[in-house]
Amino acid sequence: MQGFLDRLMAQGYFAGVPAEVVYAIGMVGFGLVVVLGFILTVAGVTTFVERRVWARIQSRVGPNRVGPQGILQWLADGIKLVMKEDVVPHDADPRLFRLAPYVVTMGFVATFVVIPFTGQLVIADMNVGILYLTAVTALVVVGILMAGWGSNNKWSLIGGIRSAAQIVSYEIPAGLSIFPVVLLTGTLSMQGTIQAQGWAPYHWFVFNSPFTFAAFFILFISILAEGNRTPFDLPEAETELVAGFVTEYSGVRYLMFFLVEWGNLYVIGALMTTLYLGGWQIPPVTSNAVVQNVLQFLTFFLKSYFWVLVAMWIRATLPRVRVDQLMTTCWKYLVPIAFLNLIGQAVWIVLFPDGSRLAQALMTLLGFGIIGYFFYRVVFHLRRARPQMQFSPLS
Amino acid sequence: MRKSSYIGNIVSTATTVFEGLAVTFSHFVRKPFTVQYPDRTDLRVQDTLPFRYRGILEVDLEICTGCLACERACPIDCIVIDAKKDPQTKAMLLTRFDIDLAKCMYCGLCSEPCPTGSIHHTPEFEGADYSLESLVRRFVQEPVVAYKPKKGAEDDPEILPLLERGLRYVDEFATPESKKAGAAAES
Amino acid sequence: MSLTGYEVEVERRGSAGLTTEEMTLNMGPQHPSTHGVLRFVVKADGEVMIEAIPDVGYLHRSIEKIAEKVGYHGFMPYTDRVDYIAAMFCNQGWGMVCERLAGIEVPKRGEYCRVIAAEFNRIASHLLSVGTMVLDIGAATPFFHAFRERERINDLLEELCGARLTYNYMRIGGVAWDLPPGFAEKSLAFLDQFEPLLDEFNDLITLNKLYIERVADVAVISAEEAINYNLVGPNLRGSGVKYDVRCDLAYSVYPELEFDVPVGCGEEGTVGDCFDRYIVRIREIKESVKILRQCFKQMPDGPVIAKVPRKFKPPAGDAYVRVESARGDMGWYAVSDGTEFPYRCRIRTGSFSGISIVDKVSRGLMLADLVAVIASLDIVAPEIDR
Repeated sequence: MQGFLDRLMAQGYFAGVPAEVVYAIGMVGFGLVVVLGFILTVAGVTTFVERRVWARIQSRVGPNRVGPQGILQWLADGIKLVMKEDVVPHDADPRLFRLAPYVVTMGFVATFVVIPFTGQLVIADMNVGILYLTAVTALVVVGILMAGWGSNNKWSLIGGIRSAAQIVSYEIPAGLSIFPVVLLTGTLSMQGTIQAQGWAPYHWFVFNSPFTFAAFFILFISILAEGNRTPFDLPEAETELVAGFVTEYSGVRYLMFFLVEWGNLYVIGALMTTLYLGGWQIPPVTSNAVVQNVLQFLTFFLKSYFWVLVAMWIRATLPRVRVDQLMTTCWKYLVPIAFLNLIGQAVWIVLFPDGSRLAQALMTLLGFGIIGYFFYRVVFHLRRARPQMQFSPLS
Repeated sequence: MRKSSYIGNIVSTATTVFEGLAVTFSHFVRKPFTVQYPDRTDLRVQDTLPFRYRGILEVDLEICTGCLACERACPIDCIVIDAKKDPQTKAMLLTRFDIDLAKCMYCGLCSEPCPTGSIHHTPEFEGADYSLESLVRRFVQEPVVAYKPKKGAEDDPEILPLLERGLRYVDEFATPESKKAGAAAES
Repeated sequence: MSLTGYEVEVERRGSAGLTTEEMTLNMGPQHPSTHGVLRFVVKADGEVMIEAIPDVGYLHRSIEKIAEKVGYHGFMPYTDRVDYIAAMFCNQGWGMVCERLAGIEVPKRGEYCRVIAAEFNRIASHLLSVGTMVLDIGAATPFFHAFRERERINDLLEELCGARLTYNYMRIGGVAWDLPPGFAEKSLAFLDQFEPLLDEFNDLITLNKLYIERVADVAVISAEEAINYNLVGPNLRGSGVKYDVRCDLAYSVYPELEFDVPVGCGEEGTVGDCFDRYIVRIREIKESVKILRQCFKQMPDGPVIAKVPRKFKPPAGDAYVRVESARGDMGWYAVSDGTEFPYRCRIRTGSFSGISIVDKVSRGLMLADLVAVIASLDIVAPEIDR
């Protein structure tokens, strides 16, 4: 953003205004645009998309009455929640209970400072961007603990404590899986990481070496756990704890938690895309800056949203893990493997300082091979269920 | 016994999760099973229900014989009938036929013993209303002469279709003497 | 005031200067996963449970007392409501006990109709049971797939008897309606498309490693314990005891039908864990499909109901009848004093003993496992309280 504003000032806009003021107003203004325009919309529409995706997987239709194909359902839900009565349970800690949703939202919105939208559009491209992201998402833990304790409800307390243990534990394999990429680029900035990759799949970091390939999956599992998504959604396990730490919340406060959960999916997608999938890199088809920016935005958004859809799809498929299994998975499986990955990647860089074209080609083939085998299994299941598809309900 | 090796766990988790994801992905291209009642169906749902469907009760008073078999059969006593012989005309006079739909449990025990099928279940199931009193269906507005089944075929054109439908409904019920081949003959 | 009679004690345990307390949680009557209106008072030390005391009675409707008022014929619709998920078996139980009191014999075709209806209902009930079990464990999709198939079975039974849940299909002496024309084709078409879907269900969730990790080796009930606690049905068979009323105390036309009785063998853990009880139900669905196909082939012609007087007055005496319901051995006991109204009716259901063992097996389990245990024992609240 700073570079963008510098270019604008060099072209003569904002004459007579000191540079710091321009930077401040520009960043804050853009931040507001991002929050109100982008985050709210994306989080809201994601709730709607999730319900439709879930429904199709479950052989039903999902909400399709409010607006064409139900696309305004999230607006209706939002308006309904805003109009609800403000309920604070008796004997709940007054300050903690009221403050918790906003702490959680703060932890979530602050991550958008470093998430790039295009090559030039990012609120602040910090040189410690990735570290800042992982640090700020930990604020969510504080908020959840406040919600759990402040609700004066034993089920919420259990949910809050589970969540705290979960998020704090899974920070470790997440961090360890980010390091192979940092080793490759030498920088912690998000834009720097994207610029070090290319637009073609074999230039993406995921196919760079077998170790980054494995780190990719470990990172995905860890960030799913950090975002409280199935199979790790114990803090809000519906069937066990009613609604976990959000049981006592209603109205706008519930809306905040809701928003954070679904918006977090986008942050997960953005992180995966930035680190491993080439970010907003597009092939050099045009030199017009505006068209370039639009194409880059679309590329980044679609890649990130793909991961949102994958997270929804996983949620529809897999059961929940238990708390002790969660801890076992993290500490006995993910952390050792992530460590070995890191060491392996370091050794790889020493052996192949400029990367190995053969390894990249092989990993790309492996990636596409897995996708091909996947579609083969899908066709197998469709064939087996063919009689069912022709059977229609009686009425 | 379960395999509990480290690598085995990882491999089996990956493969079974992969398989599960393939199954759910394959559901994206299947048609949903939902019937979008009540406004996006091809036919009215009530018209697609089978003939034996036990919906809201209805009484065709034109063919009611006043035998009170339904009142005796109902386990909840939700049918109340007043029928007495008129001293002058010596005909059975029905002055009251109330069915309390709030109590009815749609069991079908009343329509089974009806000789003409005048009390029968309809495919109607949308009976919600705003007051409890409106759920008591009073079928008799003014005293009605009960129906006397004729020896030969029924010749009154208004009563004939009702009688046919009623008898068809009652014929669905199995009787001890019926040697209906049923499905075995069809297949 | 203590509502259950169990005093709530706060136990403080100090070890190395750290005092901890036990938590008393109330998994109350309103809860998304207690399979009806049940209440558990759970004493937990963090996540690990120390005691889980069930509190039943929220669904008591005095059905057994109502039998003394409505008479033998009129009680048949009430039996649907005893266990509304497996209603055909309750109908069959009451029909059989009245027939035994009066010495009535049901015609052959009537028995076949009863078995067809009952086995369809067994499939529907097991689908609900496994569907809600996987939903409680966290997977939402297989639940909907199971219910989609259940809807198809309900459509078939709606054609047969006019209702989808409280069938009231059977009468004393047989069944009320014969099979409608075209029913056999529709049923066989349904069964043909249903069997591959069961394999798909298994691929999706039964063989899933995460699911197996949740249910294997959880709440192991040994065969001896199962017999001591009076468990029946898939709960008992999951612990390795091969006992099925359809084979051992054969009734109706089951001796003429060929089917296996699946028994838990601890393939993913130990014998008698939650996974065994679950897989026994899945396998029983396959067996029921086999039974249905044989029934449709072997059905004779003839009447479907015996002659029973409208005022049913069995001779004084009593009779006890056992039916293999979806939830196990269901016992029906009726005492007649020679009048139209029974003197006493008593129903013995499998869920009642199932819930008595929940406290015993949940010592030392985690809170998340309590849900798995309740679901695997297939406890339905209306059966417990009647």
